[in-house]
Amino acid sequence: MGLISLLKSGIMLDIYFFKNNKSELLSMLLWPYLMLGLILGAGMLFGSTSAFKQNTGLNADPIIYFIASTIVAMAAISVMWEVGGNILFLRWIGALPYVLLAPHRISTTLILSYIPRYLFLSLIQLLEFAPIIILVENLSSGVLKILVLALAIVVGMLPLLGFSALFASILISIKEETHVLSWLNPLILLFSGALYPAYLLPYWTQVISWILPSTYTIELARLASIIGSPQLAPITFLIGVLLGMTIVYNSLAYILIDIGERKALGKGAI
Amino acid sequence: MALVRLKAVLWLHTLRLWRYKWSFLNLILSQAMWVFLFILGILLFVPRDYIGLACREAFWIIVAWTIVSQTSTMVGGWMRFFITLGMIEEHILRNISPFNVVLGRIIPSSAVSIGTLLFIALIFGEAFNTNVFSVYNIGLLVLGMLLIFIQSLAYGFTIAALSVRIGISRGIFEILSFAIVGLLMVPVENIPSPLNTLFLSVPYVAPMHLSKLALSSSNFMLIQSTIISLVETVAMIIVAVHSVTSSEEWIRRQGVKAVGFM
Repeated sequence: MGLISLLKSGIMLDIYFFKNNKSELLSMLLWPYLMLGLILGAGMLFGSTSAFKQNTGLNADPIIYFIASTIVAMAAISVMWEVGGNILFLRWIGALPYVLLAPHRISTTLILSYIPRYLFLSLIQLLEFAPIIILVENLSSGVLKILVLALAIVVGMLPLLGFSALFASILISIKEETHVLSWLNPLILLFSGALYPAYLLPYWTQVISWILPSTYTIELARLASIIGSPQLAPITFLIGVLLGMTIVYNSLAYILIDIGERKALGKGAI
Repeated sequence: MALVRLKAVLWLHTLRLWRYKWSFLNLILSQAMWVFLFILGILLFVPRDYIGLACREAFWIIVAWTIVSQTSTMVGGWMRFFITLGMIEEHILRNISPFNVVLGRIIPSSAVSIGTLLFIALIFGEAFNTNVFSVYNIGLLVLGMLLIFIQSLAYGFTIAALSVRIGISRGIFEILSFAIVGLLMVPVENIPSPLNTLFLSVPYVAPMHLSKLALSSSNFMLIQSTIISLVETVAMIIVAVHSVTSSEEWIRRQGVKAVGFM
């Protein structure tokens, strides 16, 4: 089975999943709007746009700011659960031993079969928000900002895959993945500054945020919310950081998941 | 005999709560983290001078939301798990209503709700230096929250009764829960009359308004809210009891719908 077959199997899995789970599809389409509506609605009820600008210290549009935050937060949750947490799902359905026995390493299977899903789901979410972005901005500026968001989603995915596979390598040897992942996900989003900028958090949390790839993905996506055309220099800088993290996290995941697999097989944890 | 059955139900859920203690702790932690994350986003809009006041109101909305979502999903949503285990038929054969067993889910749902809220109160106190428990009228607050709890329990039972006949997706539960929090946030004072009376008639809104009044010295639509809350709660209990009775009869005649799917 080649790598293309793995990618193809990921695509087929998603097509049939949504074909057979229409309520899941509906829920997936509604969820980002609900998140955005809740924050913007409550924010406007309790405060104002001017207070938002004053608190963040940014000349940013709150609608685009939270669209960017929502898209990246949903993408980060998806990567963490689908790559890091997939071990649990495979164990539940009894398929983990078969995946381990497959010709490819488990990290390769997890990542390659997930990439189509990530791109597909993120694209749908971006398209969902595209009309609002164009409505808030004008057409040309709106399209430019959508492109910045698309860039953040694609480039941000690369280190996140390695980061999540790194988690999978740790989770593979313990049996209680959900207990870790469920609270770790919002914690990572909090430290990454998903809805509240990391630079406004206490210093010790900022130190943690520097090593998280999601921090830079969120920052890159948020450049779209700054009023006016996005600046090229910060975009290039953030892409550089994300690519550097891609090399570090994916190399680490490549080494450690093998150790995790062998340890789990040795302990009979699978 | 009834006492023995009640004891068995209470024992079952208390034992499960103990055995799944890490899972429940995890649920409390993750729920609190998510809420905190959202609140931080919302507080970005609040001028610094009003953060204390906004935190207090936001906290009690979260309390109501947690009660509604936990009670409805942990009571209503658990029926699906109970069906999958094949336990409905087991209990009916022994002349025990499966809905009595589901009633015991109040134990874990209250434990998770209380744990989550205490944790959130702690975070709010630490992060924003706010005492979320300082209220003007504690009696009114307790009444409001109690009515929200009874209404959500009635809703949970209606859902549980429906779920033995039709499939209900967890995603739909979550979406409804989100829609409810949106409704709970809207200030009744900002809605023109007589639309505000109509708005108060939406489930959970009137008891939430009572709770909001308890946080301030205002008496806006206090009498109307109290009457609507009580009438609505009684109506929801009647609907729940009727749904449970008719579903029990339906199961005895048709069998649980899950059998067809398994």
